[in-house]
Amino acid sequence: FLHPPPSWDVEETLKRLQSQKRVQVIMVVNTEGIPIKSTMDNPTTTQYANLMHNFILKAWSTVREIDPQNDLTFLQIRSKKNEIMIAPDKNYFLIVIQDPTE
Amino acid sequence: MATRAQPRQLYPAGSAGAEALATGGAASAEGPGRSGPLQDETLGVASVPSQWRGVQGIRRETKSCQTARIATAEAAAQTWKHVDAEVQTEAPVPVGVLPASQYDGPRLAAFLRRVEAMVIRELNKNWQSHAFDGFEVNWTEQQPTVTCLHTLGYPPAQGQGLHVTSVSWNTTGSVVACAYGRLDDGDWSTLKSFVCAWNLDRRGLNPQQPSAVVEVPSAVMCLAFHPTQPSHVAGGLYSGEVLVWDMSHPEDPLLWRTGLTDDTHTDPVYQVVWLPEPRHSHRFQVLSAATDGKVLLWQGLGAGQLQLTDGFALVVQQLPRNTKLRKPPRGETEVGATAVAFSSFDPSLFVLGTEGGFPLKCSLAAEEAALTRRPSSVPLRAPAQLIFSPHGGPIYSVSCSPFHRNLFLSAGTDGHIHLYSMLQAQPLASLQLSHKYLFAVRWSPVRPLVFAAASGEGDVQLFDLQKSSQKPTVSIKQTQNESPVYCLEFNHQQTQLLAAGDAEGTVKVWQLSTEFTEQGPRETEDLEQLAAEVAT
Repeated sequence: FLHPPPSWDVEETLKRLQSQKRVQVIMVVNTEGIPIKSTMDNPTTTQYANLMHNFILKAWSTVREIDPQNDLTFLQIRSKKNEIMIAPDKNYFLIVIQDPTE
Repeated sequence: MATRAQPRQLYPAGSAGAEALATGGAASAEGPGRSGPLQDETLGVASVPSQWRGVQGIRRETKSCQTARIATAEAAAQTWKHVDAEVQTEAPVPVGVLPASQYDGPRLAAFLRRVEAMVIRELNKNWQSHAFDGFEVNWTEQQPTVTCLHTLGYPPAQGQGLHVTSVSWNTTGSVVACAYGRLDDGDWSTLKSFVCAWNLDRRGLNPQQPSAVVEVPSAVMCLAFHPTQPSHVAGGLYSGEVLVWDMSHPEDPLLWRTGLTDDTHTDPVYQVVWLPEPRHSHRFQVLSAATDGKVLLWQGLGAGQLQLTDGFALVVQQLPRNTKLRKPPRGETEVGATAVAFSSFDPSLFVLGTEGGFPLKCSLAAEEAALTRRPSSVPLRAPAQLIFSPHGGPIYSVSCSPFHRNLFLSAGTDGHIHLYSMLQAQPLASLQLSHKYLFAVRWSPVRPLVFAAASGEGDVQLFDLQKSSQKPTVSIKQTQNESPVYCLEFNHQQTQLLAAGDAEGTVKVWQLSTEFTEQGPRETEDLEQLAAEVAT
């Protein structure tokens, strides 16, 4: 009954996310596109961060333009080889890449 | 009008008489009173005007003319702003590493806390979902079959019965060059041959007329385009020389040559490869492998001379002893190298195919000195680290996989393809593709499980290990009379193109069907699985 409370530490949370089924990459990026945390090497992380950043801002502005009362809550890009999931926020973006195919 | 002079005797000199004499005619006319029988008379002049001839005078009129006034005007012009600009491509700069940035700990933790549950929920939904099962999207035109796009040839070379010994695509993927020579037995060291290049992107491409032709005094055995310069190409000759040409200068294409020095190969050069220089990675040097057992590295100096900078020699006594080999014939200590392939993952690791039929795993960093008899300006080293189980005959081609660091293919005269892993001497798989020789094998640059092989029976065979590991998926007939296909190369920029050259002297550019150019979702993993079948 006495479960230890889930640790709200940054590292612990990222580790929990990484251990989900078939997750390949976890990345946290700030609103300027600068990577904060990543499970990949630096050059690849920077490349991903730059590419994702523009895309996320475009999606966010699209949603707001269609309905200014609306907001972007989640973004998913499905490709032949994997799925990219993005949870956006005022200050940070969390990017998770998963391989959902069997 | 005649004045009749007085014919009388001279008057005595007296003034009267002289006066009368002087005015003879007139006085006589005046004094007509004295008439006599023989008197001279002077009559007046009788003139008859001409009735038909007018007085010829010069008729004159005065006129003058002058050009109109020339209008002139003065104006001055001068550029008053002047800007100099220079344009030059720069060698690509290696990407630097960014430092880790500072972040606000508590805020980040709060953010992650907020989104964690939602993300985990979506992740779970995803791998359980069947929403996208069997859903495929096609972004490009689907090509169902393999078609021949171009059939290129150079009639003077074909007329001489020359074979296409090697093809190469340039760095931009728009130019294909081929080397003409002879691959059958004979002494071709003074056979005049050619290197031809066709620019496939040019309008009005004439398949029988190359965009650039270079005449070479000896048969050319191999060709390789420079990795960054679109017009530089290196070739190895039957005489053992290595030459570098610039195809954009047809009048004077030769850039560098080794010449026939003590360092030059003494046997035909079967493969040339461009390698980055050890200290300046944007400059390149040429590596050549020949059947005299030497693998040499050359660098171009200013005077058009290729200088030997480093080299390796294969000597039987120095081969690694991990596999039993047939005893070499007496007296022969050199091991002829016939093919070279560099690993895409480790730039100092390369595989050599040999005349003895066994591939060798070698390293540029090997340190042991080679026991060569002939002196050379640069000390040669023994490069071999591991020897693999041999084919039934000499190897003509090796190719390292661009997707897996341990896998490579070799093809030889026994008609078999061997798939080796660098970790063990026995091949992982041995496939018989032909009853005649196999001349070339290349991995596909986009599909990890696909490779192509050129056979002596005149066809190009495409193998897809995902579909079948026993027989080729597609067998393309290149020549009509079963004359061999000697070389083939994939185009790394336009990955649906494959060029193959044959003994008829033609180069055919094949467009592959989409199944050969689009990666399936799990191919890299399947390749890993294949490589992992290493016998323990």
